Amino acid sequence: MAENSFEENVMLKSRVHLILIVTLLLACAGQTFAQTVAAKGDEPKLIAVLKDSAAPLKAKIDACRQLAIVGGKDSIAPLASLLGDEQLSHNARYALQMNPDPAVDAALRDALGTVKGRPLAGVIFTVGYRRDAKAVPTLASLVNSGNAMVVDAAARALGNIGNSEAAQALQQALGKVPAECKLAVYEGLARCAESFVAGGKNQDAIAIYEQLYKSNAPHHVRGGALRAAILARDASGGQKLLQEQLANSDYILFSAAAQASHQMGAAEVTTILTGATKALVADRQIVVIQALGVRGDKGATPALLTMAQNGEPPVRVAAIRAVVELGDGSSVPVLVQLLDDGNREIAKAAQEGLATFPGPKADDAVMQMFAGTNTDKQRMALDLMGRRRMTSGLPALVQTANSVDSKIRTDAIKMIGELGGSEQLPTMFGLLKNVQAFQELAAVEQSLTAICLRSPDSDQQARQVIGQLEKAEPTQKASLIRVLGALGGPSALQAVCACARSDNADVRSASARALGTWKTIDAAPSLLTLAKETSNPAEKTLFVRGYLSLAGRGDVPAPDRVAMCRQAVGLIARDEEKRLLLGTLSNIELPEAMDLISPYVDDAGIRQEAVLAAVTLGEKLLKRDDAKSFADKLVPALEKAAQAASDATVANRVKTVLQQAKDKAGAK
Amino acid sequence: MSHNHSHLSRRAFLGTAAAIAAPYIVPASVFGRDGAVPPSERIILGGIGIGNRGSHVLNWMLPEPDVQFVATCDPQKARREMVKKMVDTRYGNSDCVVYPDIREFLATRTDIDAVLSTTGDRWHATAAIMAMRAGKDVYSEKPSAMTIAEGQGVVSTAKRFRRVYQSGLQRLSEGNFTFANELLRLGYLGKLHTLRAHIAPWDAAEMRHDWLPEQPLPPKEEMDWDAWLGPCPWRPYNSEYTRGGWRNHYDFHTSCIGEWGAHTFAQVQVAAGLAETSPVEYKYVANDSGDGMVATFANGVKLVLERDMAGKIWHGSCGVRYEGDEGWVAIADGYSKCEVSNPAWMGDFKKLVDDYMARTQRPMSHVRNFFDCVKSRRLTVANPVVMHRSMSTVHAANVCMWLKRDMKFDPAKEEFVNDAEANRFRSRAMREPWTI
Repeated sequence: MAENSFEENVMLKSRVHLILIVTLLLACAGQTFAQTVAAKGDEPKLIAVLKDSAAPLKAKIDACRQLAIVGGKDSIAPLASLLGDEQLSHNARYALQMNPDPAVDAALRDALGTVKGRPLAGVIFTVGYRRDAKAVPTLASLVNSGNAMVVDAAARALGNIGNSEAAQALQQALGKVPAECKLAVYEGLARCAESFVAGGKNQDAIAIYEQLYKSNAPHHVRGGALRAAILARDASGGQKLLQEQLANSDYILFSAAAQASHQMGAAEVTTILTGATKALVADRQIVVIQALGVRGDKGATPALLTMAQNGEPPVRVAAIRAVVELGDGSSVPVLVQLLDDGNREIAKAAQEGLATFPGPKADDAVMQMFAGTNTDKQRMALDLMGRRRMTSGLPALVQTANSVDSKIRTDAIKMIGELGGSEQLPTMFGLLKNVQAFQELAAVEQSLTAICLRSPDSDQQARQVIGQLEKAEPTQKASLIRVLGALGGPSALQAVCACARSDNADVRSASARALGTWKTIDAAPSLLTLAKETSNPAEKTLFVRGYLSLAGRGDVPAPDRVAMCRQAVGLIARDEEKRLLLGTLSNIELPEAMDLISPYVDDAGIRQEAVLAAVTLGEKLLKRDDAKSFADKLVPALEKAAQAASDATVANRVKTVLQQAKDKAGAK
Repeated sequence: MSHNHSHLSRRAFLGTAAAIAAPYIVPASVFGRDGAVPPSERIILGGIGIGNRGSHVLNWMLPEPDVQFVATCDPQKARREMVKKMVDTRYGNSDCVVYPDIREFLATRTDIDAVLSTTGDRWHATAAIMAMRAGKDVYSEKPSAMTIAEGQGVVSTAKRFRRVYQSGLQRLSEGNFTFANELLRLGYLGKLHTLRAHIAPWDAAEMRHDWLPEQPLPPKEEMDWDAWLGPCPWRPYNSEYTRGGWRNHYDFHTSCIGEWGAHTFAQVQVAAGLAETSPVEYKYVANDSGDGMVATFANGVKLVLERDMAGKIWHGSCGVRYEGDEGWVAIADGYSKCEVSNPAWMGDFKKLVDDYMARTQRPMSHVRNFFDCVKSRRLTVANPVVMHRSMSTVHAANVCMWLKRDMKFDPAKEEFVNDAEANRFRSRAMREPWTI
């Protein structure tokens, strides 16, 4: 075979590259939203891309990303060859870092001796991530290199490896590294100590931690080390160090010790903490008190109660919160006593504490307050009953509700509504008959409604309310009707409609109001019938308004809404209802709605509202995709509106929409 | 750049501020100690990568009476200037200092106690780790980790340096969501069997691997593209990325599953007492989003990923639903109240939420919970473990979709069981020098 000339070779090579590049680009294009994971068996193709000096950078980066998942032994050498490449070093590491083959470690160790600059820092990081213990000697050398970026990376990598040799290398480097790198060495040592604790070598860890917290390292290094030192010791050793450091004048170490106690369960720790508070300033007392709360040892309660009763107000508040967190019943009498504290913040904290204090002792205390004669305390007890959801208080509440002389009768009735269930309905029906004052009647009505609404079967509750209607006096009947209005449902609707035909004006009025605000569309036929039947203008207005309100609902099909409006037209006499009708019609996107609006343009009392409704509806209708099919039907109504419009802005809108209608009609 | 910030002392600022809320004011006691904030102290706050979303969070933070925002950093000039304007307007001065480089910002502002980090997803974990290493407490937006390894890094760094960390899972501090959680915890629903979690109904589990067309790189002062990319693989500049167009790109995003799952998985795992673990099984579903995937926890409770395109389960975003053998509760954004199988439970709303706050000392304000914990050193509601374990669920569900097969996961070892390929997704090498 004849050899190709140089030029031919170049051209052939170029063509091969071109084909390869086009193929890769197509592959990349296909990968725009394509699979994150390359197909099995793609490794050779991906390696070929890496080796191809003419392959685009994007293709090489993609290849590295995919080799990160599917790369095996064969890809290690080609990737390692890129570790010194400023542009691709990271991508090569990206591919190598999670490859479990031990040959990766060897390749990375080799690179530690050859790669320079930024890429070297990256290689060191990956060596550390892989915890390659064989790299410690080289890393020990690098941590003394004097190059801040390299020292930082090497110190942390040694820490990740975390064996004794790594710790030794870091100790040796500590006094030599540049000042700005000391933090990394401290962190490396802390990482080593963590490895020692994980491996059961606590004494080695403690030695490092002691070195760190006693050093002049930054606050978080010292604080973290002290906390870890306390927790790494055995129980008595940890407690001894805790006690010692709680007295440290250095706030950092004091705070770290207090935080360590969060994870120390022994009762002795509680004693240490409570004992320490006496000598502390208020700020530090709060920190220790909060630690006692977090730890959850109820043994701290007596000491905390003492602090809750005496001292700086912020300390007392913290102590009150802590005793609530602990939830020991012995705190309850003190909290009750603190309700009368002269400092409002303290009294408020005590009240908040009683509201959330767990267990029956706080319930008992609340009931005791309720049984007393102090009206303010009784009201406070009512509030606490509600917040504590004390259904156990219902018998006492019922008793108070039935007590005509009680000053808190109305409040008790309301609380029955908050706490009661269907078993309290007979009580409420009884109260309905007996209470006289308007406020009390309103409270009964409110409570009845609340109890019924909470029931999973409100229709069943409605039937119980309906059962009371027949024997109720008109005033009480009106209340029951309002309750039924709030409940809704088919049974309630039927009953209220019947009441709307009552001989008693109050009952009829209450029914009309309930129906006028009915929430469900099933009330529409009854509202229409009642509006036609009644001779009372006020009731008629309520029925019509309720009916129009339902016609305005977006969840009712538009043709039905137009039909409802058409029905309403003959019932409407007052301008107010006409405006309501126009407002409803302007939101029904059917040409038929325009037919109903148009006549009102002739009505002098609401002419301009009708014009506005016409233009609003016209604008909406003409935006519909099928506007051409009905645009001609809108023209007469819009022409009429255009002639009647008095406001310049509205007139302009009508003119515009009329032209649109004509254009669309013409283009039909 | 000049650093002409005035270094207002905490007390000087306090002197100009309005009265501060009880109960933490103790006069003339202990002053701040370089990053550890006693209860009476003002918290000095800085910002990292605050953009549109971040400015909402900052707006919640600035009114807090014991917080003083002093500086922000961002590789984009327009964004850092936006934050400066917002903060200076609030305080009526021109003291907010801006930094283009996060390293310089963290190294020099030793006066800052805590940072609000609201970068794009690619930077969340790295920025949080760098800030915690510098001794700052961190409030970080979600999704707060791109890989399982990043989540582990956040957990270990927070523990190592006893930093307070809050992921921006604000629904964990909202009344309706808390009420739903408490209904479940207190047994109203009976024995729990199913958790349903909303995933974003747009996009897919598979993401883009293409590059947007290269555009001329702006001056570094305007846009530091290397810093913007951070630990992600390099790609050429296109301004679209910086305007939110990074979403749905594999290097920058955690898919439709992470977009909402970061919130909803955390929500359901916290509610079910499963916040310190993650599911042990993931069942692949043959669609493009993971809709309907069932992930099962070791106790048998099932987590179902729901796109709910038809709105049959929720009528709002980021919904969760808990189902027990005695009832259910559902909640999503925009609800005035929870939807429950038994309306009588709603009467207990206030009590359950109040009791929760007293029991946990966590208020119904996510940013307030963070600031309280900065002072008390308690665990936040969206602490590193909550973030990491729920994000591990996100990552595992994504891997299940990408590999198109069922997965088993060992929450103790934090690795997929007998699946070497899946395990390779647990970490991505970070681009130097942005390594952790």
